[in-house]
This record gives sequence, structure tokens and C-alpha cells, in this order.
Amino acid sequence: MRIQNVFKQFGILLILSFLFAKTSPAQDSNQIKIFGYFQNTLQAWSKYTHAPAHSTFNTQQLNIFFQKDLNRSWTAFINIEFLNNFSSQKHWGSLNLEEVWVRYHYDYNFNLKLGLLTPVFNNLNEIKNKTPVLPYIIRPLSYETSFNEFIPVEVLTPTQAYAQAYGFIRLNSLKLDYAFYVGNSPNINDKQGNGQTGTDTTFAFLYGGRVGMRFNRLKMGVSGSYDKDDLFQGEALVNMPDNVNFRQIPKTRIGADLSYDYDDFSFEGELINVDMEKNSSLSADLNFYYATLGYHIADGLFSYATYWFLEEDLTLNVPVAYEKEYEEISVYSFGLSQRLLDELVLKVQFARVESDQTVNIFNENLVFKNHDNFNIFALAVSVIF
Amino acid sequence: MKVKLLATIIFLLFLVIHSNAQIAVIANKSVPVDTISKVELLDFYIGDIKEWNDNRPVVLVDFSTATDTKSNFYKFIGRRSSRIKSIWIKKMLSGEGDPPIFLENTDEMIRKIAKTPGAIGYADLKEINKTVKVLLVIK
Repeated sequence: MRIQNVFKQFGILLILSFLFAKTSPAQDSNQIKIFGYFQNTLQAWSKYTHAPAHSTFNTQQLNIFFQKDLNRSWTAFINIEFLNNFSSQKHWGSLNLEEVWVRYHYDYNFNLKLGLLTPVFNNLNEIKNKTPVLPYIIRPLSYETSFNEFIPVEVLTPTQAYAQAYGFIRLNSLKLDYAFYVGNSPNINDKQGNGQTGTDTTFAFLYGGRVGMRFNRLKMGVSGSYDKDDLFQGEALVNMPDNVNFRQIPKTRIGADLSYDYDDFSFEGELINVDMEKNSSLSADLNFYYATLGYHIADGLFSYATYWFLEEDLTLNVPVAYEKEYEEISVYSFGLSQRLLDELVLKVQFARVESDQTVNIFNENLVFKNHDNFNIFALAVSVIF
Repeated sequence: MKVKLLATIIFLLFLVIHSNAQIAVIANKSVPVDTISKVELLDFYIGDIKEWNDNRPVVLVDFSTATDTKSNFYKFIGRRSSRIKSIWIKKMLSGEGDPPIFLENTDEMIRKIAKTPGAIGYADLKEINKTVKVLLVIK
């Protein structure tokens, strides 16, 4: 029995020493690098229509990376993400394969990523989940993946693509950035009865890209994407004619981003417009923008004030229903982030949320209105390991 | 009175000498260039350019602690060291590059650069020896 325990302990030590021997993210191309980050939060929400006041601790995010430089040109990368206290036992949160790609690096002019990847869109899309590099705890709404249940995050920005070419062209101090990608449209099946497979999307690709420029401390660009979406398939109504369905609705996203640093001040902003239309039977128009003004109080200590606005306008006009739904959400927020160590950031944030929703069901002469104001106070620690 | 005056003069002289301390941008002798511009230096330190023009990888070396040399170097390239740090963390977490190698002091910096092909860093000009190549002197 004792001998078995000794062997067990020795085995555990052996495994641990193997792991630690291979986990350094140093500049050694032969070893696999294992690293990651997490963000733990404490959030206090005041009362709003759908929930009483509540406070909660939360492991908002845990990401684990595996990276191997296969040689000077090829790198393989895997990013596994756990959200919101993930527990399969308690059906909490989610576990996602966020990135699984191999990159070919020719030089700064040309890189090619192949495999599951987060595409470039505006300023934040690629790094929206990299909590240690963001000052926010609650991110601008289009990027707040933990609000997925009530903000159409995946409609506002492309979350996944499968091949992306990117790089920049240098003209002295001016850099012209480009990125072009292709991927799958979300929630599309060629056979309606199959349920969501996540893979059977070969006739409905996502196409997108961003072109931009960087000059000294100014960075700006425009982004766009096109795909088809089954988002409103659930709107199918009883007695709806067979020739009306809400499958494969063309979706166009247009975005613009601007960021600028001046001395200790920084500014960052984005615009996103999403347009979805199916003949005259359904149209959805989403607009989002945010603007953040930041100030570096001291080395590692950053303060900011930010404003976010999201507007959703949906019209459904079919023989059995004619309704219009309009919702707008405004968020005023400010916060502080302090980088205590390279690997450790403390954050505090306050947000005031105001939302208005109006639903007009014209064919039944019904109008529903809802107005909410609530506050969120959040503390967080973000750690790289 | 005379002692006070002398002490003040010595102190002022120290300040003048100190403020004029020159920084040398140094590299391993194998690198394929003999000079470097401010723009190229910034590109290396923000990880935009990862290779020398002979396609060999750039290995960045930096000081781990805040010193006058470090702060003057970052002033020269026009970015806060905390900003550069954020850029590297972002690149690391996106699989786009490894952060610089951080070392404690000038001796370690010079030794590391001397023995690492493609390495580049910086140090006080007075402490540089012949084991490394000077690409730029920041006045």
C-alpha cells in the first residue's frame, strides 16, 4: 500500500515536472508553450425588470492556450475558453474551442492563418476576450460575450472564420493594414430537419475584412462582412404560408474604428451597422457605437470614461403578423485598471445602463413598452499564467 | 559656505553628466545591418517587424526594472514602457509573438546580446564593450 502511494506521488511529480518544464512562454521554438489567463469578478447589479438586485462572484473567463512554433514560418495555436463559472454538472456557463489554427508567416507583409480563428473586425474583435489587455470588466456591448443571452453579440461582430490573410505595407512611418477572411455563416443547415451541426454550411460562407492605417499614434480602419443567418428562424409563425420562411437571411456588417494616443490621454471608438433583410417580410437593422476616453494616471494605472449605444430595429411583415420592435440601450461607464505586475491587473468599473423597448403588433393593435434603468458595479482581477 | 558652494557645483555637474548619459542601441555581431533608424527600432519593440532583412529572427532584450536608461530609451522611441508591455501581452495572448527577454542589469544585457544571434537591446554607452555591435547612439 505504502509502495503504491510512493509510486502514485512519484508519478504525479513526474507529470508536474514534465508540465512545468514545458510551460515557459520563452523564445524557444522547439517546445510547446502552455499558458493562459483568467478573470474573476464580483458584480453588483441593481434591480431591473427581469431580475431583482443581486451580487455575484464569477469566474467570468478562463482561457488556456497551447502554442507550438513548428519552425520559423509555421505556428500552431489552440485557445480553449471557459465562460461564467463553467460547470457541466450544474449546466453553468460554456466551454468553447475559440481558436485552433496554424499560421504561415512569410514576413510582415503577408501572414496566413488556417483553421478556426477570431477574425479581424474593427479594433477590438480579435482581442475582445483577452481580458488582461482590456481595462474593462464589462466590455463594450458588442463584445461582451458573457451577455450573450440578451445582447446579439454574434450578430454584431463575426466571431469565427477559417482562413485569414493579413499583414501590413510599410511606407516610412505609415502602415497600411489589411485582413481578409472567409468562414462559415452561423446557424445554417442545408437540411432543415438536421438541427444545428456547426459544420454543414458549405453553401453559405462568411466573407469579410478590414483595411486600415497606422501613423504615429493614430490608428483607423473600416471593416465589413457578408454572410447569411438563420437567426430569425424561430420567428416562424403558426399558419405562416409555406413560401415564407426566415432562413438564410443575407447579413451585412459595416464597421469603422479610430484610436489615438496623445501624451497621457487616449481615445478609442468604433461604429458598427448590421443590416439583415428578407424581401419585404423581415428587416433588422442594428447600430452600435462606443467611445472611450482614457487617461494614464501613472505607469500601469489607467482611468477611463466610456459611452456605448446599441439600437435594434426589427420589422416583421407577413400575412399572419405585422409587428415592429425597437430597442435602444445606452451605457455610461467609468473605471480604473491597475497593472500590479506584468501578469496581474486589478480593475474596478461602474456602469449605468438605460434601456427602452417598444413592441408594436399592428395587426392586433397592441403596444408594449418597457423602460429600465439599472447600475452595475464590478471589481475584477485578471491574471496571466 | 565654501563647502556648500562646492557641494552644489558637484551636484549640478553630476546632474549635467547624468542627463547627458548616452544610450547605445546594441546588437549581436551577426545582425546584417550596421545602423538602425528610430522607426525601425520602434517596429522591433512593438513586434511589428520580427525578422532582420536576412530573414533571421529578431530577439529583443530589455531591462526588467525601471532605470533612467530604460525610461530615456522609451522616451526616444516615443512610447511608454507600460504601453509597449500591453502590446506584447496582447501579441502573446493572440499567438502573434513572444515578449522580449527581460534582464536585470547592463552586464547581463551585454552578455546575452553578445551570445544570442539576432539579439538587439540597449545600454548606457559608457558600459558597452567590443563583444556587441553599436547600431545607434541616442543622445
